[in-house]
Amino acid sequence: MIECTTRGAGVQTEGDQTIWIEKYRPARLADIVGQDEIVRRLQAYVRSGNMPHLLFTGSAGVGKTTAAVALAKEFYGDAWQTNFRELNASDERGIDVVRTQIKQFARISPLEGAGFKILFLDEADALTPDAQAALRRTMENFSHTCRFILSCNYSSKIIDPIQSRCAIFRFSPLGSRAIEKEMQRIAEQEGLDIKPDGMDAIVYVAQGDMRRAINALQGASMMGGEIKSQAIYAVTSTARPEEIEELLDLAVKGDFEGAERYLETLMTERGIAPNELLNQCYRALVRRSMPPALKVEFIGHLGEADFRLSEGANPDIQMKALVANMILSVRRGG
Amino acid sequence: MDWAEKYRPEHLKDVIGNTQTLGQMLSWARNWTPRSKPLLLYGKPGTGKTSSAHALARDMKWEVVELNASDQRTKALLEKVAGSSSTTASISGAARHLILLDEVDNLHGTADRGGAKALLEIIRRSAQPIILIANNLQGVPSELRMQCEPIVFRAVQSRSILPRLKFICSSEGVRCSEKILKEISEASGGDVRAAISMLSAVAMGEKEVSEADLEISMKDERATIFDLVSRVFRSEPDEELLRTAMDIVESPDDIQQWLEGSIPHLQDGEAISAGYRALSKADLFTGRVLRRQYYTLWRYAQAISLVGVSAAAGGRVIHERIMPPPRWHRMSTLRRQKALRNALLKKLSERLHIPPDELRNEYLTSLSLLVEADPERFVLEFALDTEELNLFIHDRKKATEIMKRMSERGPVVAGAKAGSAVGDAEEEKRTRRGKQARQKQTTLF
Repeated sequence: MIECTTRGAGVQTEGDQTIWIEKYRPARLADIVGQDEIVRRLQAYVRSGNMPHLLFTGSAGVGKTTAAVALAKEFYGDAWQTNFRELNASDERGIDVVRTQIKQFARISPLEGAGFKILFLDEADALTPDAQAALRRTMENFSHTCRFILSCNYSSKIIDPIQSRCAIFRFSPLGSRAIEKEMQRIAEQEGLDIKPDGMDAIVYVAQGDMRRAINALQGASMMGGEIKSQAIYAVTSTARPEEIEELLDLAVKGDFEGAERYLETLMTERGIAPNELLNQCYRALVRRSMPPALKVEFIGHLGEADFRLSEGANPDIQMKALVANMILSVRRGG
Repeated sequence: MDWAEKYRPEHLKDVIGNTQTLGQMLSWARNWTPRSKPLLLYGKPGTGKTSSAHALARDMKWEVVELNASDQRTKALLEKVAGSSSTTASISGAARHLILLDEVDNLHGTADRGGAKALLEIIRRSAQPIILIANNLQGVPSELRMQCEPIVFRAVQSRSILPRLKFICSSEGVRCSEKILKEISEASGGDVRAAISMLSAVAMGEKEVSEADLEISMKDERATIFDLVSRVFRSEPDEELLRTAMDIVESPDDIQQWLEGSIPHLQDGEAISAGYRALSKADLFTGRVLRRQYYTLWRYAQAISLVGVSAAAGGRVIHERIMPPPRWHRMSTLRRQKALRNALLKKLSERLHIPPDELRNEYLTSLSLLVEADPERFVLEFALDTEELNLFIHDRKKATEIMKRMSERGPVVAGAKAGSAVGDAEEEKRTRRGKQARQKQTTLF
């Protein structure tokens, strides 16, 4: 975000942005898709030249950071970088970051005639409760020079006294319509032709996350101007939904050899990461109609495998064990 | 300017709610002598603690020296800031300094090393009025708590918040219907600052606020925990359950506890046991999330508890009222007990040079036997109070008796050191009585 085109919504292809998630990051509030109500409120703040402290909550890629940056740009114009600072709380999560970095930024007066500065604290839910406690009076004592925008995935992990100091904005996950619309806009700019099955694939891999959608589209565009599902699944190293269904079918039938061989193909030939497979199996299982008791057992096995992988266990062994466990559950149940 | 700051009350008479408490503060300030105990204001966020302290200082024409958790409260710093203003009288002689110690329930072990001790020292030596502020009384170190006069701030009633919101709207030139303001003041849960934040979220920069504006800034009303629990027991589609769970405020571990509270209503042994099995499995994942901070595992906990309990219920709708887990009612007393026990362990651990955990696991039983055999000696040796003695001998009546007997005989048996402590307590009682009498006088006139 070092070089950012502020003119003309940043849509004009100037060739200075090679990564599309930056190139197509909306520069104006008005260009943010799928969060109309929130955008309208933020625009009203800009008109009045004033705003309260804000708390943005929502999952990844729904526009929290984009909204904060766009807000700063509209408040300050060209001077936005002097009056806006982005800190990622997950890098430094302790109380010291509040007592040093945050206070230092907050206490210095805004520059170039701005009424206040904005400190954007990303992943604020990663701050320890101690650090959050230290933040609360800082937010008030420096409110004549600085406004805080906190962003987090789970608002339940932000302590009450902070929530009480903020206007809370809940960003909803992006619907398929919003993602399709944005993909279409980019495709026009880049001269791409997204086929219907390609669009479905993008929506499937994105899971409501615009950043992931744009990334998939740019990756697939390297293979040619026609965007088909195959390219999307290939560049994102994702299995097709049908393939996951096939794997689960084999497991439910109790066919260990078949399921194991199929898993092997997905992992080695297609190069799909174990975590991604777990993720996709989870999504498919939740939706799948099958005996509920068995479903719960399957989900438990997935979780167990995920946990063990996170602890550094060998992926090949754990994925095979996963299939074996599923089949054992089937045999016990039947 | 941020509205919550802009409309912070200037004088005590502008503070809303907690009228009686404010009266107490004022009489404390008017009758203040260097022998007065510091005030300890405690209560939920946004009930006016910090505002009242500042307003009181302004009304009394006192200057404020404030220290809060955003300052590193090591011994050295506290002494430098508060120490100097607490002992040296103001040069002009007229104005006093109010020392405001905010967030004293957030003194952090290593980061604020020696902080609690230094605070105690300042309280003892201070020639200036002191006010301490905390959200949670139990989080204040007990030795600190005992030196202060605790005053509670309660949640402010929504009908008191409403006029404040109206005032802000008219000052800002925003038109906003009474219905909307009412809704905001009720949704705030007695937290005035939250109410003002909510109002500023919808009204800042607007001439008129419509009801549609309200929706985004309010706590999420799309679904509640009650909806979720009843949907689980109606066995609605799994995907639907998981989506609802994403919408509500409660986190996966809270959801599990709500489900736990309703499982017994299933009435069928097999179903109940299946429900608990699912919860216990889900809980395993919740535990791992907490331990490892690996939040991806949350989804398994969520899915297993929701889908599992829904499968166990098999569409048997429950007719009993959905209630929070009964454990939560007992939680506040339990939490108090736990805080007390931890404080005691910490105290002993410092004295005996044994880590608290080891002390609890290995030595507490034998220590308890020793204390039971000769309670008085241990009360003196470890400076135990009644509550702490009770933790050892598990007999409140007996503990009270022992303490009473000791304080009566105090000076003779206990020797010089304890004698002075008991003497102080007596002295304190007298001054407090005197103060109460004075308070009565002020109200009489």
